[in-house]
Amino acid sequence: MLNYIIKRILWMIPMLIGISLISFFIMHLAPGDITNNEASFNPKASEESRQKLREIYHLDKPIIVQYGLWLKRMVILDFGKSFASHQKPVFWQTQDKDGNITKGMIQEALPITLMINLLGLAITLILSIPLGIIAARHHLGWQDRSITLFNFVGFSIPGFWLSLLLMYWLGVVNNWFPISGLHSLNYESLDTWDKIKDTFAHLFLPVVIPSITGLAGITLFVKNGMLDVLHQDYITTARAKGLNERKVIYTHALRNALLPLITIIGLSIPGLIGGSVIAETIFAIPGMGKLFYDAVLMRDFPVVMGILTIGSALTLVGNLLADVAYAWADPRVRRGVAR
Amino acid sequence: MHTTQSTLVASFIKYAFITLTVLLVTSCSSQSDSTSSNKNLHDQFAPESGGTLINAMTGEPSSLISMIAGESASSAITSNLFNSLLKYDKNLEIEGDLVSSWQISPDQKTITFKLKPDLKWADNEPITSADVLFTWQAVTDEKTASPYASDFLLVKNAEIPDPLTFKITYEQPYASALDSWAGLQILPKHRLLGQDLHTTTFSRNPIGSHYYKLDNWTHGAYLKMSRNTLSVLGPAKIDRLVTRIIPDNSAQFLELMADNIDLMGLDPIKYARIIPSRPELQDKLALYKELGNSYTYMGFNLKHPPFDDVRVRKAINYAIDKQEIIDGVYLGLGINIASPYKPGTRWSNPSLTPYPYDPDKARALLKEAGFTDTNGDGILERNGKPFSFEIITNQNKEREKSAVLIQRRLKEVGINVTIRSIEWASFISRFIKTGDFDVVVLGWGLGLDPDQYNIWHSSQQAPGQFNFIGYQNSTVDKLLEQGRLELDPDKRMKIYHEFAQVLLNDSPIVYLSAGYGLTAIHQRVKGIDTPSPPAGVGHNSYDWYIPQPLRRNEMSVN
Repeated sequence: MLNYIIKRILWMIPMLIGISLISFFIMHLAPGDITNNEASFNPKASEESRQKLREIYHLDKPIIVQYGLWLKRMVILDFGKSFASHQKPVFWQTQDKDGNITKGMIQEALPITLMINLLGLAITLILSIPLGIIAARHHLGWQDRSITLFNFVGFSIPGFWLSLLLMYWLGVVNNWFPISGLHSLNYESLDTWDKIKDTFAHLFLPVVIPSITGLAGITLFVKNGMLDVLHQDYITTARAKGLNERKVIYTHALRNALLPLITIIGLSIPGLIGGSVIAETIFAIPGMGKLFYDAVLMRDFPVVMGILTIGSALTLVGNLLADVAYAWADPRVRRGVAR
Repeated sequence: MHTTQSTLVASFIKYAFITLTVLLVTSCSSQSDSTSSNKNLHDQFAPESGGTLINAMTGEPSSLISMIAGESASSAITSNLFNSLLKYDKNLEIEGDLVSSWQISPDQKTITFKLKPDLKWADNEPITSADVLFTWQAVTDEKTASPYASDFLLVKNAEIPDPLTFKITYEQPYASALDSWAGLQILPKHRLLGQDLHTTTFSRNPIGSHYYKLDNWTHGAYLKMSRNTLSVLGPAKIDRLVTRIIPDNSAQFLELMADNIDLMGLDPIKYARIIPSRPELQDKLALYKELGNSYTYMGFNLKHPPFDDVRVRKAINYAIDKQEIIDGVYLGLGINIASPYKPGTRWSNPSLTPYPYDPDKARALLKEAGFTDTNGDGILERNGKPFSFEIITNQNKEREKSAVLIQRRLKEVGINVTIRSIEWASFISRFIKTGDFDVVVLGWGLGLDPDQYNIWHSSQQAPGQFNFIGYQNSTVDKLLEQGRLELDPDKRMKIYHEFAQVLLNDSPIVYLSAGYGLTAIHQRVKGIDTPSPPAGVGHNSYDWYIPQPLRRNEMSVN
């Protein structure tokens, strides 16, 4: 098992290099660079100054040379500095000689996105597992049908539309929840308990809305997993030996039905850091989605590459974790790996 | 069995929907209760200082050193923090900001600025001519790579004979010199000497000289400023300014509706439709409209036939109904222009009139240029080739809609138009820079100085320069060169009036509209000049005040 894990980790290195190479070239396929942004389309800004910027950022060099420079920095895990934010570090904070700390862009955005997505995933799981079980137990019954209907309505409603409606209803008309932002303006002066309350109030809409729209997928997974398992012989055996339905469902069936969820959760790890551009824009949350989207529009290559690299590394780690967790949970898989 | 269940579900959903609708409706009708403090919003109050003004912007500044930042988010903040040598007054005439006077030598090449005495930075250090010299050196430094360096590179020599005098000499007279110094914010030498302007922490934690000083910048959330007691122009009335960063316009508007922000820029739909249809919003918001310094245009690639033919350009100009675009796209909140200057300013030539909508004249001109519909398909041809071209624009709703209206009007005179909308960076580097386009719909945002050498002079056509439509006219070249050398405002005015006339007659672009800048400000903010002077509603924001009874609970914003 350990051998297997080590082998998988070593394999990740060439894969990451390959991914970064392809990403780097695809990123450069889009026309334009940082000097083409909308603010620089100003008759007062001269072409010479844009050319000078291009030289400073090595954008005048061939792409393969630029990739080499990037890779050279990446070897010592230096993600570089953003073009668009005037040399803000892309990943982690730096300290100048006077001890002033400049925080990294991903360092600032990642915890926010992670918190929102983890809370969202938790809510989705907490709601979808029971819903899936109920739907499977009452397959084709009214419970099943209403759950399916609810899920698909949630799945089909555009998140931004629902967000704006709820922001209006809960924020403007009723003043129950804050409309946008992560904290109130007086956050710094609150005591700890009020700070927590304030944060949760601000997080309510951004967390709950994507969870509702994301409910459909996992509920269906759980339901179908349950349905499969409920038709297995060992369930018939369990029922035949007179176990009560509760025990059959929750002890025998559920544990096996949840196995595919491990894969899903493993695959959702890169999504956890991805963040949603639309939700982050509407709710004014400075997370990863907005950071990446803005970086692409501005052609801020170090930021784009930084996020893509971290994202792909996490995808690979997520896959590995899912496989390992699978092996841990399912003896059949474990035997396969050991062989 | 199944049928009864599905009817049950259906009726359940129906019931749920009705309940939800009822809930929504009842809660909507009760909303005026929450704004019960509005009753004295329209009373008269004497000016007093204090309070907090909260506004919002969609983007976050990249830096608070404006000579390297360039985006509007940055200048919106830095204009509260830093002063320049000169500034524009409410009638858009130049006056002293940090300087008490300035003198132009008889040969018009040397300008001597006299700083006001006893000026202080917010950290109590004196402001001297050494700071001004430092700022000039910084903006012209190669390492700064400031996009605005070119204006200041024209200064041949800068000297500081004493702490209050700053003397610059140009190679030859430069008419836009004063305007350029009104745009350069002076930075404190004692804080920045020996630092890289791109990496210095000063760009996030600046020390300035203006009405406010920055207290706190929370990334992605807000910038908080408070009154600078050492302000070189005296105290502002409002104690604190908070600028929230809310990228989405609709979310910003919801915050405005919920009284969480006091001020925001509006689009025509909010200004002309949404606010007027809601009495409670109309009651608590004051709306302002003022002409901005920008216009939308349709520009021809003059190197591509048939746009090299002035008759074709004029025909298209006549065929487009500009009023229709203003009414349809901007909901009437724009005006028709005939010169590339803000109407009502000294530089705009009042004797010029825009091309009227006249499809018959357009058809006649096209015929004269050799276009006829030989095969009867409704599209004109010349030498067997149908008259067909593509309009490109960046992804901007208003420009896209304008292009659609143009498409229809040109179809009526027999020209086939297709439209393509492209993401900004690709648009610039793939089409504008390479000159690979027929017609663009774009906008120009202009400064207050009339010099438009970079846009219209024939020498400015290299890739990346701004005369990308390839305009070439020796009269215009000569006028633009003269205008740059002439410092006397009245003589300059004549030059630019003539320039605008030649331009209109040549029709290298079709002026589509100059849109109004639209602003909503909460009624709790008093002291706003109405009607707005030429410099705009915000010109005296330091004199705005929020009377005590109308303030928010101050605990909630500190």
